[in-house]
Amino acid sequence: MAVTEPRRIYTGSRIPAPIPTVLQVPADVTDPEDILQVNFGPNHPSTHGVLRLVVDLSGERVVGLRAVIGYLHTGFEKNMEQKTWWKAITYPERIDYVSFQNNELAFVLAIEKLLGVEIPPKASWMRMLLCELNRIHSHLVWLATGALELGAISMFWYCFRERERILDLFELCCGTRMHTRYFQAGGLAEDIPRGFFPECRAFTERMPGAVDEYEMILDRNAIWLERTKGLGLLSAADALALGQSGPVLRASGVDWDLRKNQPYLAYDEVDFRVPVYYNGDVYDRYRVHMVEMRESTRIVAQALDRLEGMFGEPWIVDDRRFVLPPRHELHTSMESLIHHFKIVTEGYRVPEGEVYIPIESPRGEFGCYVVSSGGPKPWRVKFRAPSFVALEATATCMSDALVADLIAIVGSLDTVMGEVDR
Amino acid sequence: MAVRKKQRLADYGLNSERLLMPKKGPGVFEQELGELEDKLMLTTVAKAVHWAQGNSIWPDTFGLACCAIEMMSIVSSRYDIARFGAEVFRSSPRQADLLIVSGRVAHKMAAPLRQIYDQMLEPKWVIAMGACASSGGMFNNYAILQGVDKIVAVDIHVPGCPPRPEALVEGIVRLQEKIKAGVPPAYEIRGVAS
Amino acid sequence: MHLRDEEGFNFLSDIAAVDYLGWGERHVAGYFGTAAGRDLGSQSAQGFARTPQPKPARFAVNYQLTSVPVGRVVRVQVWLEDGQSVASVVEVWPTADWHEREAFDMMGIVFDGHPNLSRILMEDDWEGHPLRKDYPLGGEPVRFSGDE
Repeated sequence: MAVTEPRRIYTGSRIPAPIPTVLQVPADVTDPEDILQVNFGPNHPSTHGVLRLVVDLSGERVVGLRAVIGYLHTGFEKNMEQKTWWKAITYPERIDYVSFQNNELAFVLAIEKLLGVEIPPKASWMRMLLCELNRIHSHLVWLATGALELGAISMFWYCFRERERILDLFELCCGTRMHTRYFQAGGLAEDIPRGFFPECRAFTERMPGAVDEYEMILDRNAIWLERTKGLGLLSAADALALGQSGPVLRASGVDWDLRKNQPYLAYDEVDFRVPVYYNGDVYDRYRVHMVEMRESTRIVAQALDRLEGMFGEPWIVDDRRFVLPPRHELHTSMESLIHHFKIVTEGYRVPEGEVYIPIESPRGEFGCYVVSSGGPKPWRVKFRAPSFVALEATATCMSDALVADLIAIVGSLDTVMGEVDR
Repeated sequence: MAVRKKQRLADYGLNSERLLMPKKGPGVFEQELGELEDKLMLTTVAKAVHWAQGNSIWPDTFGLACCAIEMMSIVSSRYDIARFGAEVFRSSPRQADLLIVSGRVAHKMAAPLRQIYDQMLEPKWVIAMGACASSGGMFNNYAILQGVDKIVAVDIHVPGCPPRPEALVEGIVRLQEKIKAGVPPAYEIRGVAS
Repeated sequence: MHLRDEEGFNFLSDIAAVDYLGWGERHVAGYFGTAAGRDLGSQSAQGFARTPQPKPARFAVNYQLTSVPVGRVVRVQVWLEDGQSVASVVEVWPTADWHEREAFDMMGIVFDGHPNLSRILMEDDWEGHPLRKDYPLGGEPVRFSGDE
């Protein structure tokens, strides 16, 4: 089905009925025998993880689609109910394993809101810096795997080169490459090492050049344009009705970014742009990701400027009800010893209440709903994963798609199956 | 096959034992075989085959969760695994030798995992990468299979959450040494169906 | 039980179901305040044990709504007993489709009018609803080498 010019955004709604998430084979199809049902099984080379798509094909056109998930269901929420608040912080990172610190951030912010504490500015700015680095990391992995599936295999190596640099920065500051568990209820777990700042500065100087390289390869590449323009159309109204957020929503023309509209941490003190594009296709989602990478680098540079001036300030709140006292005090002060003992053995207690904290993860709105009964363990933790909701939109985006477009569209929705299945 | 001069069995196999016990000399069997080799200047077909198998293990794309991201980074240029012989990751299990189970295996995924393992041709090896694949990891609950060696025969377990790329590369290198030393794949040792 | 018209709340962020079985059975003690600030009048501020306020019913279904261009946020809570069902909001917010399926799968809450209420995260023939409080965590006991 040759398209001479890219299709424009549609009017009205294309959400399938009666089930919004399942594209059903239309009743007026000419020959039911011609429909081939193909299973894009849980193990397939488009490395999005374990997603299963049951696709009905008529020739090359996709006429029916159903997504089956649950192949990575881990029972995070149940496990977290059995652990104390301190231990439970290690769990959310593994949910969206590509942008791990954003998940941790949501949970830790929820705990802090229930506790009613205000964290020191150094911790705020450092958390913001790390989350923006994580956003760049996530977009790099998205671009690498997305381009890999469409055939631009060399993008994988270029993007992973920068990704290794980011992971080096994480290792320098937090101790390990992935799943850093650096955020603590009240601030950061450890102080920021001095060697971090020049390394991070060098990275921010390199990164815009790297993004230029990626755009040089892909932006005007005829094959890339042919394979991404006009596909996977999602109008603004449909996107909102389907609960989309993040780059998918901004590529459909809705200016909604939780960092600007409902700011948390120190986002209202940095200057950055939110990209909004209006065509709602795969190419626009790609453009949103690229611009976001550049803007994140700017945020990191601004945060570095502020943090260098805060050297020597406390990185965690000094409230002994839930923060461990510094080790040197344990030798001299009896109360510190008692606090330490209570926090480590029993776990600190978070006052009764419930709270929902949405943050802007690289995929969209990542929300954490926490119910506390006042005890040392959470009563209920529920995560709102943007990829879960993004997969609901596959059926709508897939109107008039070919099999080859299927991969491009599912890739552009930037799903991470750990989030989807939790 | 061209035999390089004076390469003994000791040079091929079980170097890792030497890392742990550096002062240990070659075992009796190795010594005898080495002397035999020296006198007769021959090698066995089995050794040649093992050398070829070990140096060209092609993994299968079986990335499940966080460990998959670290597995992708061993393909990238910094921890290049192609220099160890794993030139490409084959997507089809029928063309792959090695199944790196990277990530937590939910019970729902256990059946497809076993099916993929069955579709691989002998000889095949399995690396359980990460804590979740080796033993269920931090998720001791209703949803996760507590260790992938309950359903497939695992040769190498790589600890970590996620293991560093170097750790996974060490796992693959030890697997190569195991193969070249002539250790049969795990399904033969355990006597299970493959 | 309520079907909310779109009073400008055009964005459904999340449907979170909570099981309150066993709430308030254990005394909670040791914390000194609430998120609203330190309230010296409340018993808990002195560190004494107190029982949390009891909840109206066993299950709560929370709908988290946002009004996108404006930025107003609201949370609607619907209380249910075990066995009661609630009307599905899929016609109003199509994104609720999978959220409601997940609430059904994990907690066993039935949504009337949902076009496809089937298990989504667990296998199709799984018995039980894992996130309920009376469902065990599962898993295996960890074996230590010194024990055998």
